[in-house]
Amino acid sequence: MPTLFPTKEMGAKTLPTLMTIAAPEQQMSLDALKSLGAEGKLNGLLLGNLLSAFTQLERDAVHLYRVVASRTQYDDWRARYEEFGKESETHVRIYEELITRLGGDPNFVSPMARMCEHKSNKLLDTLLLSGSVDELTLEMTGLEAVIAAEHQCHSNWELLSALAETVADTTIKGALQDAVNQVMPQEDEHLTWAKTTWQKTLLGLLATPA
Amino acid sequence: MAFNPLTERGIPIDKQLRNWSQLNVTPYDPETVDPYTRCRIITMNGIEVQSILNSHQFARNTDNPEVKAKLAFTRRVEQQQQKAVNWLLSGKESTIELTLAYEQVAIDLTAFLARNEPDPYIKQTLDFGLLEDFDHLYRYANLADLIEGKKADKITRNYTEIMPGRPTIVEHRHPFDDIRCHYDCHTADPLTKLHALIITAAEQQTMNFYMNVGPQYQEPIARALYQEIAMIEEQHVTQYESLLDPMESWFQREVFHHYMECYLYYSFMQTEVDRRIKDLWELHLNQEIEHLRIAGELMKKYTGMDPEEILPKSLPEPTRFEQNKDYVREILATQLDLRTMGPTFVMLDQLPEDALYWQYQEAVNSGGFVPSEQVVKDLQEKSGYRIAFMTEGPHPVESMREK
Repeated sequence: MPTLFPTKEMGAKTLPTLMTIAAPEQQMSLDALKSLGAEGKLNGLLLGNLLSAFTQLERDAVHLYRVVASRTQYDDWRARYEEFGKESETHVRIYEELITRLGGDPNFVSPMARMCEHKSNKLLDTLLLSGSVDELTLEMTGLEAVIAAEHQCHSNWELLSALAETVADTTIKGALQDAVNQVMPQEDEHLTWAKTTWQKTLLGLLATPA
Repeated sequence: MAFNPLTERGIPIDKQLRNWSQLNVTPYDPETVDPYTRCRIITMNGIEVQSILNSHQFARNTDNPEVKAKLAFTRRVEQQQQKAVNWLLSGKESTIELTLAYEQVAIDLTAFLARNEPDPYIKQTLDFGLLEDFDHLYRYANLADLIEGKKADKITRNYTEIMPGRPTIVEHRHPFDDIRCHYDCHTADPLTKLHALIITAAEQQTMNFYMNVGPQYQEPIARALYQEIAMIEEQHVTQYESLLDPMESWFQREVFHHYMECYLYYSFMQTEVDRRIKDLWELHLNQEIEHLRIAGELMKKYTGMDPEEILPKSLPEPTRFEQNKDYVREILATQLDLRTMGPTFVMLDQLPEDALYWQYQEAVNSGGFVPSEQVVKDLQEKSGYRIAFMTEGPHPVESMREK
């Protein structure tokens, strides 16, 4: 079972910034971060920050799919949401393995990951206004949240795919390619299904006189 | 034995409402009440008030009918809990006596939390506030003698010493200097999160109390002193609320408030010496277990997150009211001259001449009248003494000893 909410008990680490603090044993060492991907002459600080954020987004996707699956009125959508949620859990695990393979710490929650989590929370906050909208709006808002999340997930994997092509170090290249190859077809499917379903649903409704 | 409120069965919410007779509890006897029973009552009142206000704020940010309805029902019960707790206080005690008890809470609660706080920065923040509340007890003790001829140690007994702390006159800081850094919700120890929320609630209740009772006095010095110390409590609320991670969602906060209530009712059950009040803590714990379950269900439904993901497997070690005299003396001896610059703690001799601190000091202390200083002078002039209650020897800071 992959980690969906890193905690101190699990060994979560952070990088204290302007307004955050952490006990010394919970702080990520800058040197350790910088050494990430050093064999490939990569910016380890940024790579560690990004990979943490990318993992976080998959964690958020698992939570998002749980919410939309429990709320949708459409059985076929629910089935897809549940399927994609399980696959997103797998993506979390694949990210955790990739980070470990590159010499990083999968329990590091970077500043970028914090911001990612914050954005995801705000996507879910849209449901707090469910009392002033109709069921269709709610359904579409859930689906639009999925599109937004999947669009970013897809972009993240595309970036890693492009990185794998440019990096010279064969160990890093191999680790990135293995991860991308496992995940990309599912990411394609998630985004395509969400966008197509959104468009088909609205086009169908637009063609139905009120 | 480990206690996990997530796996316990509470009282169903629709069985929790009490009638007026049940709510209108018999107050404690001020002649026999244990000071720490009174402290637990004051604390739990503040905790309930905080939980109620959080729920109201949450409700103002949603029109989801299910969320609003469940918040409203739980909140109504929380209001009943607050009434049942706060009505244990006795009308035979005057406002200044109750104020002394509030400061005893501020000292012995803050000291206990600081002693047990795993994060060094949060511990430092608690220590910093501790010395200020410690001084408030001293100022109010002098006021109690001055206006009512009452001895403060009748309220605090020998559990808590009374002597000057970081003088209230130097506690007035620029608002920027009361902001603190916050914990990270992923890396913070569960106890750190509890401590931050508990102390915020306690200080907020103290702030509200002084804001409201201060102008009810006729004596000018009393009105002035409550006003001055109420402003410090505002500073303390600003300080402690800064510690909370703003990334926590409304649903997480709602869960965490009920978790905190479970934790404290459970904690206080362990040490309560009054059987009747212990039973009340137990009743409220069983109600809170249900509130936690309801809040957890809402979080699960609307954020996809299980309470088990963010809460520990069992409650941390209980918080206790107990004597902290040695600890307070140690902090007095080493941190009396501590100040802040923004979220950073600095010693007085390292504070630059152009620091905002000095500007604010000048703005509020100019004019020659500072109530917290005046109250001590007034008592000295009227009675020829100042109030102090020291059981462990002279003041740990030599310069603060009576000449």
